[in-house]
Amino acid sequence: MNPSRTSTTKFVVRFLILIAFLVLAAWGVHLIKDALNLEIRPGNEAMVHRSIMLGAVAYIGLLALPFVPGAEIGIAMLAAFGPGIAPLIYVATVASMMLAYTIGRFLPIGALERFLNLLHMQRAAALVARAAPLSGDDRLAMLLDGQSKRAVHIGLKYRYIALAIAVNTPGNSIIGGGGGIMMVAGLSGIFSPVLVFLTIAIAVSPVPLAVLFLGLQLQ
Amino acid sequence: MSQILQVAAIAMATVGTGAATMTVMKPEIADLAVPEGDWSAGEILDGQSYFIEGVDLDSGTVLLDELVFRDGTFQSVNCQTYCDFGWSDYQTKLVDDVIHFTATTRCPDAPHTVVWYGTVTEDQMQLAGTWTTRRWYWNHQIRFSAEGSTTPPIDPNVTG
Repeated sequence: MNPSRTSTTKFVVRFLILIAFLVLAAWGVHLIKDALNLEIRPGNEAMVHRSIMLGAVAYIGLLALPFVPGAEIGIAMLAAFGPGIAPLIYVATVASMMLAYTIGRFLPIGALERFLNLLHMQRAAALVARAAPLSGDDRLAMLLDGQSKRAVHIGLKYRYIALAIAVNTPGNSIIGGGGGIMMVAGLSGIFSPVLVFLTIAIAVSPVPLAVLFLGLQLQ
Repeated sequence: MSQILQVAAIAMATVGTGAATMTVMKPEIADLAVPEGDWSAGEILDGQSYFIEGVDLDSGTVLLDELVFRDGTFQSVNCQTYCDFGWSDYQTKLVDDVIHFTATTRCPDAPHTVVWYGTVTEDQMQLAGTWTTRRWYWNHQIRFSAEGSTTPPIDPNVTG
C-alpha cells in the first residue's frame, strides 16, 4: 500500500475520532447540565457556591499536572454556569499554569519525578526524567518535538510566542498538556517568571473573554 | 533572591493580578432602582401582612411569600427560610392615596441583598424586587415581580 495514502487515511480516521469525541463531550455536558437543573435559587446558592469553589480548586490542581485533561473541567464549568463564571475560570487557568511553571522551575527535578511517580503518573514522570539531562534549550526543543531544526530555532528565538501557541494547541496533551508544557518551560530555566506570566495571561484569555464579552455559548 | 522568595513573589503576583482581574472583568449588577421621592420611615403599613404570588422574571419560577410589617420594620417569611435576614426598616411615601414602600434587606451570613419596592392600594399590593448575590468571583441576580393582598390564600402553606 502507498505509504502516503496510509498516513492520509490515518489522519482522516484520527480527525473523525476527534470530531466524534467533541460531539459526544458536548452532548455529555448538555445532559449533565439538564440533569443538574442548574437554576441558581436562594435555596441552592450556597451549595452552588461550594461546588464552584471545589471545582475551581480541582481545576487549578488538575490542570497543573502533566497529561491530565484539566481544561475539560473549565469548559464544563463554563457550560454549566455560563458567562458569569468566565472571570473565575480565566484567573484559575492563569494560576494553574503559573503553579505548573513554578513547580518546574523551583522543585528539584529528582523530587518532581518521585512525586509524579508517587501519583502513579508514569508518563508525566517519564517526561520529567527525559527532560532532566537536557540543557535549557533542548528542554524547550522537547516541546517542539517532531519539528524541523528551523522550527526549533524559531521556537527558541520567539520562545514566549512558541509557549503561547503550545499551550493553546488542540491535542497538546500528547506532549504533556498545559500543565506538562508549563512544567517543562519552568524546568528549562530559560523563561523569566514575569514574561511567562504575561504570556500566559494573554494566551489563555480568548475562550473566557469570548464567553464573557461575545456571548459564546458552550452547550 | 532565594528561591522561596521568588516563589512567594510569583504567588503574590498571581493572586494580586488575579484579584485585580476579577474586579475588572466581573460585571457589576445594580440592585433594583427605587424611584426617588419624599420617603420617610415606615409606619403606615405596620400591623399588616400581605400574601403575595409572584414570578421570577428570568426563569418563570412561581414565588409565594408572606410580607409582614410591624413597628416600622419589614420581613419576608419566604426569605427568612434561606437566611436569617431578621427585621429590616422600611420606608414609605404617599402619592395620590397610593402607599409606596421600599425596603432593603441584607443577609448577615452571606452576600445577599434583597431590594423591595411596592405599592399598596386599599388592600392590594403590587411588588417588584431583586435578590442579588455578590460573591468575589461573580454577581448573580434574581429579578421578580408579584402581587397580592391581605387576604390569606386558600392553601395556607407558604412555600418558595
